[in-house]
Amino acid sequence: MISGLVQILLWQGLGELISHFFLPIIPGPVLGLVFLLIFLIIKGHVNPSLALVSDAFSQHLGVLFIPAAVGVILFLPQLKANAFAVISALLVSVVATIVVTAVVLRFISKKDSHESQ
Amino acid sequence: MNPNDLQIAEIWVYLSGSPLFALILTLTAYQVGSFFYQKTDRNPLANPVAIAVILVAIALYLVDMPYQKYFEGAQFVHFLLGTATVSLAIPIYRGVAALKARVFPLLIALLCGGVVSIVSAVGVATFLGADSAIIGAFYPKSVTAPIAMGVAERLGVSPTLTAVFAVITGIIGAILGSHILNLLGMKQWWQRGFAIGVAAHGIGTSRAFAVHPEAGTYASLAMGLHGILGALLIPLLKNYI
Repeated sequence: MISGLVQILLWQGLGELISHFFLPIIPGPVLGLVFLLIFLIIKGHVNPSLALVSDAFSQHLGVLFIPAAVGVILFLPQLKANAFAVISALLVSVVATIVVTAVVLRFISKKDSHESQ
Repeated sequence: MNPNDLQIAEIWVYLSGSPLFALILTLTAYQVGSFFYQKTDRNPLANPVAIAVILVAIALYLVDMPYQKYFEGAQFVHFLLGTATVSLAIPIYRGVAALKARVFPLLIALLCGGVVSIVSAVGVATFLGADSAIIGAFYPKSVTAPIAMGVAERLGVSPTLTAVFAVITGIIGAILGSHILNLLGMKQWWQRGFAIGVAAHGIGTSRAFAVHPEAGTYASLAMGLHGILGALLIPLLKNYI
């Protein structure tokens, strides 16, 4: 467990350093994620303590963004004033994203399977 | 004031001055949220994060604690977001085997879906005259919340609004996803799962796993890839639109 956490913190640290000095537009943890992913692909397997920590995090990912999300109380007046625009934008965006992703995926994979036949 | 009241007030001052109160509040609220989520058979409307946020907000109002003070204590939880983001590499790695066979259609569909999610949200909000602070938070909102908040910080838009929009997006996607895909006549589980994962990240993925394991695997792959591509491409997109 601890060894998995140490590994993840080290990758995060590396990501933060590269982000700070070379790529300030990309958040450090995302770079850490990419480095760890490349490392895992090269290595070909996940060690158990790393898997343990990652599973714990992904099971309860939601709890980690509560502190920031509660900040919504500071935005309530602004959200109220824009309620219609916000709700419409979110609804339209979700529906459009699902439709476009699904239709594109079906279209391309149909074409692919015809070519291979 | 009688001595008894004074004592309680002193204990309260002591407790509210340490991170303990904010931590207990955050975790208990999440626990209550998870309880309802399980009880309602994982109904997306009973999203544990949404319930927890409402409960914490009510508690802060009742004890008259400013948000900044709560956050000071809860920042220990907040800090782990970055670490959790790095650990997303493991589920993505596990999905890579599924990706290999279909890398081309999946990446093209992801790019189209990702661009549509931003353009449609920003377009509708702009058309309806929303504030620019709100519109800014729409750019990263379809990406999984921990990554979206990091991206929001770098873009100079509110991570809080981004997190809230991301959670609402996930809930809408989890509720409407199956119906939309049925209307479209989508029959392949992997295609259905991937579309939900692109549009509704973690919340949609958890829904997809509840419906079918293959849909869940592809949803989680879509969420991970969207997170990475989003973090790399959204800053570019925002600068050039």
